[in-house]
Amino acid sequence: MPEPIEALDRLLDRRVLVLTGKGGVGKSSVTAALAALAARRGKRVLACEVNANDRLPALLGAPPAGPSLAELRPNLWSVDVRPHEAMLEYAQMKLHLPAIVRAVFENRLMRYFLRAIPSLAEVVILGKILFHAREREGERPRFDLVLVDAPATGHALALLRVPEVVGAAVPPGALADDMRWMRALLEDPAQTAINLVSLPEEMPVNETFQLERALRDVGLPLGVCFLNGVWPHRFAPGELDQLPPRPPWTEVRAAVSHLEARADLALSEAGRLRRGTDLPVIELPYLFDAPFGPPAIERLSLLLEGKLGVAA
Amino acid sequence: MRPLLPGELPFASRRLQVCVGAGGVGKTTLAAAIALRAAVAGRKALVCTIDPARRLADSLGLPELGHDRRRVPVERFAAAGLEPRGELWAMMLDLKRSWDELIARHAPSVEQRDRIYANRFYRQLSSALAGSQEYIAVEKLYELSQTTDYDLIVLDTPPTAHALDFLDAPNRVVDFLDNDAARWLLTPALAAGKIGLGLFGRGGGRLFRGISELTGAETLRELADFMLSLSGMYEGFKERAGKVKKLLASPEAGFVLVTTPKPLTVGEALQFHGALEKSGLAVGAVIANRVHADIRAAGGDELARAGRSDGLPEDLVRRIDRALSDARALRHGDEEQLARLRRAGIEPFALMRRDRDVHDLGALWSLTEPLAAKGDAA
Repeated sequence: MPEPIEALDRLLDRRVLVLTGKGGVGKSSVTAALAALAARRGKRVLACEVNANDRLPALLGAPPAGPSLAELRPNLWSVDVRPHEAMLEYAQMKLHLPAIVRAVFENRLMRYFLRAIPSLAEVVILGKILFHAREREGERPRFDLVLVDAPATGHALALLRVPEVVGAAVPPGALADDMRWMRALLEDPAQTAINLVSLPEEMPVNETFQLERALRDVGLPLGVCFLNGVWPHRFAPGELDQLPPRPPWTEVRAAVSHLEARADLALSEAGRLRRGTDLPVIELPYLFDAPFGPPAIERLSLLLEGKLGVAA
Repeated sequence: MRPLLPGELPFASRRLQVCVGAGGVGKTTLAAAIALRAAVAGRKALVCTIDPARRLADSLGLPELGHDRRRVPVERFAAAGLEPRGELWAMMLDLKRSWDELIARHAPSVEQRDRIYANRFYRQLSSALAGSQEYIAVEKLYELSQTTDYDLIVLDTPPTAHALDFLDAPNRVVDFLDNDAARWLLTPALAAGKIGLGLFGRGGGRLFRGISELTGAETLRELADFMLSLSGMYEGFKERAGKVKKLLASPEAGFVLVTTPKPLTVGEALQFHGALEKSGLAVGAVIANRVHADIRAAGGDELARAGRSDGLPEDLVRRIDRALSDARALRHGDEEQLARLRRAGIEPFALMRRDRDVHDLGALWSLTEPLAAKGDAA
């Protein structure tokens, strides 16, 4: 198993990094922190979220980006990829009939119809993301790194499998061609890594195992596992027993025990995760003073940079 | 609405409770805890869960919690020191199977039913159509409310960040199944190669051909076939969806909105709450789950002095002080989010974070203790 630090360093050399995991584990935070880190190191970064109400710009302290690419800070762009807009964009790109396309797409019934086509939403969402990953600006790629704050487990799998599933189902043609290059890009470990985000708690760890297995089964290249919100252990076993059984120590002990119980749980779940996964695990601490929002993201991003060592 | 029994939760006066909220906030566990309170108080209660954690199913004594309703064994209660005056039942909602049952109910013949089952569009319906999982959950609630004699049914729902997925679902499903719409949309596919692109106009016909180039004409034909196979069922669906909608808005049903005191989930809960109120649906309770405990213990200089006078190692006292200040920061963050709910006119029920997961009925019982206390005080 490669050392986590090495793994993280090589990770940023990929073109596409996807982050997924159970709902509420901090996928958006890790995506935002990686985006800030890569941009600081001079990469041109596009951070994509999928129909998520502009979480990433909020985490990076910028105004909402919406469904069009917006530059949040030097080297860092963001976009909220929404199915309807992505579909419109895709149709316009392919069909070259902007006015009619818009008229039809804005029809309410047409919306239902489009929703009903299996996987079409996933096709256009993933299509837009990977389109930007291949986009060129003159001689060089428009973006060095495309980060994807993917949906939670099941939806992410559906999204990532779309080129394979749809590619097998459609007859030769424009769509089949698109599925082919999308699949090649996604399945190439030199260009893409699917990364898992987890928490040191029972259900998230279980879901990480399931997801890792499922991704392996379908042949998608895995990167690392970010273990978010790791609690510090501050006291040796029995150390708190020396507190006298009287005020203020009784109250102190009760309060501190809650934290220690949480730390115990985190430690045992982190251990279970390490034993059960083949991925390098990169731990990120729980940030007590600023667990959410832009300050937390900056901290996380600096911590990740620290884990990268001096390699530039 | 009906009078509460002693020990029942204050919002449980409505017979049907719908637990909603984002993923990972503890919705399923709370749904079970609400039903448990009612069962102990004397009701015949059913909790209908979506995807229960292994431990929750285990703690209900239902290792193979399936699509069928099962009664939680009385021994489980005794083991937790509880004496139920009523009954607790549990089931797991299998969304796919519920759709199948819905189709079977409305299909005029077995052949038509099987034709629908075999269609690729049908098989993807639940993921392709936003809100369809939410719809089938509520549809199940309707069915249970009509065909069973439970005093209380608590419905767990799929994680839903956007209330619209929930509230709009019956409309969407009905619109989707509307055959007139299908005919209008699919005439070109049905008439492929012949005439009949006129409905779209010339440009629209070109667009349709364009789309079929992208998706394959086969896909469109299959969709058309799916729509046709539903013909004759639309009225039944529509009537049913209307009843489902009416049920949600009736005095029998109430929503329990579950959130955690984190900025993102509280933001989503506020939107959800606003949408429910706007639609005239009753929100019986907003539960802020996993709130960190208040820290009253002394810190700083006071703690250092106490440490010195009790002869404790300076380093230990420093680490304790640091831990306490972190715990205070956690509490402070939660309080800010609770205040945010209150500013929006919502008085949340705050439930403390537990050191351990729910692993038996006793833990499930004590989870809602603060809610029950409020009920008795009222």
